[in-house]
Amino acid sequence: MTAGVWRPLGFLILMLGFGLRLDSEWQGVAGVLLAAGAAAGGAGLWALRRDTAGEPFVPPVRER
Amino acid sequence: MAATLVIAATVWLSLRGLARVVVPGVTRDASAPLVGPRVRAWYRGVLEPLEDALVGARVHPDALTWAQLAVSVLAGAVFWAGWLFVGGWLTIVAGTLDVLDGGVARRAGVESRRGALVDSLVDRWAEFATFLGLGAFYRDSWVLVPLIVACFGSFMVSYTRARAEGLGVEAQLGRVQRPERYVILGCGAWASDLVAHLTCTLTGRPTQVVLAAAIVVLAALSAWTALERARHAAAALRQSAP
Repeated sequence: MTAGVWRPLGFLILMLGFGLRLDSEWQGVAGVLLAAGAAAGGAGLWALRRDTAGEPFVPPVRER
Repeated sequence: MAATLVIAATVWLSLRGLARVVVPGVTRDASAPLVGPRVRAWYRGVLEPLEDALVGARVHPDALTWAQLAVSVLAGAVFWAGWLFVGGWLTIVAGTLDVLDGGVARRAGVESRRGALVDSLVDRWAEFATFLGLGAFYRDSWVLVPLIVACFGSFMVSYTRARAEGLGVEAQLGRVQRPERYVILGCGAWASDLVAHLTCTLTGRPTQVVLAAAIVVLAALSAWTALERARHAAAALRQSAP
């Protein structure tokens, strides 16, 4: 699956986890959902990061 | 507090994404939907990777339509239990599935009149399930009255359009259409529970005033939209009469 799928999926699971944590007595299920949602959403957001592997974002003009 | 921070970060990311969306040649008038073309274009962009994945996995649009019904029934059940944050969120998920089924059908090239009929009918059942759950939650409250008006108004918005189109008149106008109903009800419940949890230490008891306000607004705007469509259709039929 691509990052574009992980982000909304992670957010969906995270919000369900928050909802159960706030409203219900299912605190264990809520904890599992929060962890899974954070992992999935984090994986999606990680793919958004700018690639800074040794090179500047705007390459310098080497030759004029 | 963690939920508030995550939602705030999401809102910020969403607004950043929204600012990048350009929809050329769009004019707004008084009968345009509350959720404008820019927001719709942004949300479709967010859902595009999901649509790709679903088409790639050969998921049939009907499966998404039935999933929407199942999620709406679940939303109704959790509203009944008083879990407003979860219910609101599931309402938004159901609305998203409603957008996804049409998008997947178009992309996969399996659009059909039967699919459109099933989608429309399931939408009504899904809306009713959500309203029923909320009605059970508000059974001892004055909010039940605007909730019934909102439910009736929502159904009249759809019925008026269907009846007008049966008579050959296009009537897809009005401030509150289906996506707006999902947003007002879903975000209203979601935000209401969050506000109730954040303020209950100050007020001493949780109050769902945000959801009550959202239901009153939805009732007024749904009724207005149904009347607007009826007036438009009647005027068009009067003009076309021999």
